[in-house]
Amino acid sequence: MRRREYLYLVAPSVLVMFGLLVIPLVRTIQWSFERVRYGSPGTFVGLDNYRDALTDPRFGSAVAFTVVVTIAVVSVLVVGGYVLAVLVNGLGKMRPIVLGLLLVSYVVPGLIGGTMFSWLFNDNFGGIVNQVIRLVGLPEVLWFTDTWANRGLVAAAVVWSMIPFAMLVILAGLQGVPKEMLEAARMDGAGSLRTHWSVIAPSIRGVLGFVTLISIMDVLRLFDQLIPLSPQAVQIGNESLVLYIYNRAFLDGGQQLGLGSAMNVLLILLIVVMLLPFIRDTAREGRS
Amino acid sequence: MRTPATGPRLSPPSLRRGPLAAASTALVLVGLTACGAGSRTATSSAAEVPCEVEVAEPTTVNVLAYNSSAIDPFTNTMVASCTQGDLTVAHEPIDFDGQTQRTTATLAGEVGTYDVLETYGYIIPQLATEGSLLPLDDLVETYGEEYDLGALNEGMLEAMSYDGQLYAVPMQAQMFVMAYRQDAFEELGLEPPTTFAELREVSAALQESGQFEYPLALPLLASGDLATAYDAALGSLGVDYVDPETMTPNFDTPEAAQALEELKSLVPFMDPQVTTFDQPSVQQQMYNGDAAMAIMFSGRMNDLTLESNTQYAADFGFAPPPTVGEDGAQYSALSVDGWSIPTNSAVDPEVLFEVIATSVSQEASEEAVPAAFPARDGAVSEDSSPYAAAAIDAIDNAPAAEPFPWTAPIANETLPVVAQAMLDQITVEEATARMQEIATGVLADY
Amino acid sequence: MASSEAAQRPTTTQGRDAGRGRAKLPTGPRGPHTSRARKVAANVVLAVVCLLMLSPVLWTAFSVIKPTNVAFLNPPAFTFTPTLDAFVNLWQTTNFYQYLGNTLVVAVVSTVVALVIGLPAAYALSRSPGWVSVALLVAALVFRALPRTAVVLPMYEISRSLGIYDTTLALALALVAINQPFSIWLLRNFFAAVPKEIDEAAMIDGCTRFSMLRLVIIPLMGPGIITAALFMFLFAFQEYLTAVILTDVSSATVPVFIATQLGQTLPLLQQAGAASLLLTLPVFVFAFVAQKYLIAGLNSGSVKG
Repeated sequence: MRRREYLYLVAPSVLVMFGLLVIPLVRTIQWSFERVRYGSPGTFVGLDNYRDALTDPRFGSAVAFTVVVTIAVVSVLVVGGYVLAVLVNGLGKMRPIVLGLLLVSYVVPGLIGGTMFSWLFNDNFGGIVNQVIRLVGLPEVLWFTDTWANRGLVAAAVVWSMIPFAMLVILAGLQGVPKEMLEAARMDGAGSLRTHWSVIAPSIRGVLGFVTLISIMDVLRLFDQLIPLSPQAVQIGNESLVLYIYNRAFLDGGQQLGLGSAMNVLLILLIVVMLLPFIRDTAREGRS
Repeated sequence: MRTPATGPRLSPPSLRRGPLAAASTALVLVGLTACGAGSRTATSSAAEVPCEVEVAEPTTVNVLAYNSSAIDPFTNTMVASCTQGDLTVAHEPIDFDGQTQRTTATLAGEVGTYDVLETYGYIIPQLATEGSLLPLDDLVETYGEEYDLGALNEGMLEAMSYDGQLYAVPMQAQMFVMAYRQDAFEELGLEPPTTFAELREVSAALQESGQFEYPLALPLLASGDLATAYDAALGSLGVDYVDPETMTPNFDTPEAAQALEELKSLVPFMDPQVTTFDQPSVQQQMYNGDAAMAIMFSGRMNDLTLESNTQYAADFGFAPPPTVGEDGAQYSALSVDGWSIPTNSAVDPEVLFEVIATSVSQEASEEAVPAAFPARDGAVSEDSSPYAAAAIDAIDNAPAAEPFPWTAPIANETLPVVAQAMLDQITVEEATARMQEIATGVLADY
Repeated sequence: MASSEAAQRPTTTQGRDAGRGRAKLPTGPRGPHTSRARKVAANVVLAVVCLLMLSPVLWTAFSVIKPTNVAFLNPPAFTFTPTLDAFVNLWQTTNFYQYLGNTLVVAVVSTVVALVIGLPAAYALSRSPGWVSVALLVAALVFRALPRTAVVLPMYEISRSLGIYDTTLALALALVAINQPFSIWLLRNFFAAVPKEIDEAAMIDGCTRFSMLRLVIIPLMGPGIITAALFMFLFAFQEYLTAVILTDVSSATVPVFIATQLGQTLPLLQQAGAASLLLTLPVFVFAFVAQKYLIAGLNSGSVKG
C-alpha cells in the first residue's frame, strides 16, 4: 500500500482518537499537577496530588479490592463463559431463543442492572433471595454491610452482566472447532473434561485470550454496579478505584479535580501494567 | 410473627380501589395530561392558581427540585400554573442525590441549565459565599405586596438568608417527626418516648413482644443521612459544630462523644443494615411493618398516611421526636426549603421571581397541606393532618440551625469518621479527635 | 427444550462447516442411553441458568405491575391484581419518550460515524504491518482500557467552552472516540480474514484503492460489519458515566434519567422500575435479532487472535 493511501485511510480515525481522547488526557495530566476545581483556574502544586493519593490508605485498599475482584471475576467469566458456550452450542432449534434470553443481562446498563439485582437481596424491597434463605433455614446474610457477603454480591452482579459477552465470543470461537471433536467430548463421559482441557480449549486459545483481555479492562473500571449494591463501600473496604476517584474528587462538586486527576493517571498506569502481556503480543503480531 | 391486618379497615369499602377503579383513574389521567410539560405524579394534585407572568418571547424555565410528597405540591403548582402564553415551566422527576449532583453541575457553568433551584437552609451559606445565588431583597421589595410575601414566616426568611441578604424564597419547613405504630403501642401499653432513654425502653419492650425484631428505623445511610443524624444528636445536647465567636470546633466537648454514644446505643434495636438506609428505605420499613418506630423529616410523613402506599396507613400515630438527654432541644433538624435563582440563569430574574412567588402564594400554600408545612404563617393548624400537632411541637423544639458557610463542608468531611464510629471500626475518642482535626482544617479556609 | 434427536442433528445455525446432512455421528463408547441422560442434564442446567439470568428483570417486572401498596412488601406478595399504572404514569408525567429518542439518536449517530471512519483505518491496519500500525493498535488497546473519568471530565470542560455541552452531538462525538478503539480492533481482524489476493485482483481490474474497498471488500465482510455495528450501538445505548457528565436537561439519555430516579419513594420508584423495563424491552428484542449476526460475525475471523 502506498504511503499516501495509508495516510488517507488512517487519518480520520487518528484525528478523532487523538483529538477527542489525547487532548482530554493531556488536560487530565495537567490537572494532576494542580490544585483546581471546575470553572476556576488552578495553581501548580507539583507532585502534591500524587503524594496525597499514594499516602491515603483508602487508595491502597481500593487498589487491592479492584485487583482481587478483577482476578476473581475474570476467572469465573472465562470458565463459566466456556461452560455456557459448550452447553448452548449443543442446542438445536432452541439455540436462538436461549441465546437471546442469555444476552439480556448484557444489554442492561450496569447501574440499572445493579439496581434490579439489589432488589433481589434487599429486605426493604421484599428481597426474594432472603426469603429463600429463610425458607431453607440458613442464617441471615447481611448482603450490604458484611464485607465478604457484599463482595460476593458485587462479583455476582458483575458476572451476571458480563458473562453473556464471554459466552458469546467463546461460542463464536467454538464454531471453528471441528464438530467431531466436540461430539467426542460430549459423549465420552469421564474423558470429556480432559478433551476440553487438552484439545478444545487450546484450539481456541486466541478467543479465550480476547475474552480475558476485554474482561480485565471492563472489571478494572468497576463503578456502576457498586452505586446501588454497596451503599457503604467505603466503610467495608469495597471501594473500587473508579468509585474511590469519584468519591474523593467529584462527589463534592469537583473541589478536588487535581487529586482526582492524579488518581486517574495512577489508574491508567496500573491498567497499562496489567495489560503489558497483551501489548507485547500485539506488538509481536502486528510486526509479522 | 407480624400479621398483616386482615380485619375490617377504617376506610369505607367504596373508597377501596379495585382494579376497575385503577383502570378508570388511568383513563382520566390520559385525558388530563395529553400534552404539556412538567412533573405530575399520580398521587399529588397540582393547584391551579393565577399566574400573570408575561414574557416578550417564548421562554422556558427549567426547575430543579427533587421529588417528595412535601416538595411536589409547590413544584407542580409552579409548572401547572405558570406554563401559559409563551412561558413554559419545565420540571422532570429527580431524586435527592440527583438534585445535589445537578446543582453542582449547573452552577459550575458560565450559563446554567436550570433557572430555578430548590435549596435548603443548610447549603444557602455555602452557595451564597460562592456567589452562585442571586440576592432576592430587591425583588421582594418590588413584588412583596402583589404576592403577599409579608405573610412568610420571619424565622424561615431568616433561615434562607446569609449575611443580611435573602437568597431563597421559603416554601416550607421540615423537621424531624416520629411515626409509630399506634396499634402495637396500645396493645403493649406503651407511650411515645420523649427521651432517648425512653426510646430504648420502648424499643426493648417492642422487641420483647416478639412482634418486631428490629422495632426502630432511622435514616442512617453512611454516605449521607448519618451526618444529619449526628448533627441532630449534637444539637439536642445543645452543642454546635463550631463556636462562631472563637472559631474553634466543638468535637472535643463531652457532648460530641455523648452524641455518638447515644446514637450507638440504638443499634441493637435497628436493622443490622441500618447504615445503608436512606429516608425512602425507612419509609419501606414502616410500610412493610418491619419497624414500629421511625424518626425522619416531616416531609416524608404524609406518604405514611396514604392507603395507596401501605396497609398500615391507618395504624400510624405521630409524635414529636425525643430529646437525646433528659431535656433540651429535641433530636431534630430544622430545615427550611425554598426557591433560589442561580446567578448564571439566562432568563430574566423578574420573570423567575414571579414564577417562584406564584408557587408560594396563599392559595398554593394551602393546597400543599397536609403534605407540607408551608412557610406562610397560620397555614398549618393542629388538625391539618394526622401529624400536624407533632410537627408544630417539633418546629418549636428543634435545635437552632447553624447558618455558616463551613457547616456543610464540616458535615461532609466528618461523615466517614462518624460512620466508622457507628460501625465500631474506631473508638468514640478516636472519632472525636479525628473530627476535631478535620474541622480545624476546614475552618482554616474561612 | 429441544429433543435430543433434533439437538444432535447439526442445523444450519451451527456454523458453516457443520456438515449439513451428514449421518448421525457415532455416539461414543458409553452408548446412546448415557448420551441422552447427559443431554437432559445439560438442558436442565441451561434452563436453570436462563432463569437465574433473567431473575433480576423478572422480579423488577413483578414489582412494577403490583399495586403500589404491595409493590415492595416484605415478605413479598405473590397474589395481586396486575396494573400498568406505573407505565402509564411514566409516559404521562415524564419526558421518557424524549430520553428514549436522545438515546437512539446518540446510539445511531455514534455507530454510523464510528464505522465510517473506523472501516478505512481498520483496513489500512490489516494490510500494512509497519511500526505505525503497531503503534496505532497498541494505542487503541490502551484507549479501550482507559478509565472513563480520565477523558470525560476534561470533555465536560471542553464541551462547555465549545458551547456544545448538553447536546446529543457532544455525547455522540464522545462515544465515537471512546468506542472507536474497540471497533478498529474488531474490524481489523475481519479485514485480516479477507485474503489479500482479492485486493490485488480488484486493483488489476482497474479499481482504485478506495473504490475497491467500497465495492469489493466491504460487501465481502457483511456479517463482520454488522457485528461491529451491533456492539457500537449497544455500548452507546448503555453508556451511563459519559452521558451523565456530558448531558443535562435537553439531551439526557434513558440510563441517566433512570439513575436519577433510583432514590425515589413509592410510587415513583415503581415508575423507575417501569422505565428500566422499557429500556430493557427494545434490547431484549435486539438481542434476539442480533445473536445470529453476532455469532456469524465473531466467527468470521474477528477473535481468532
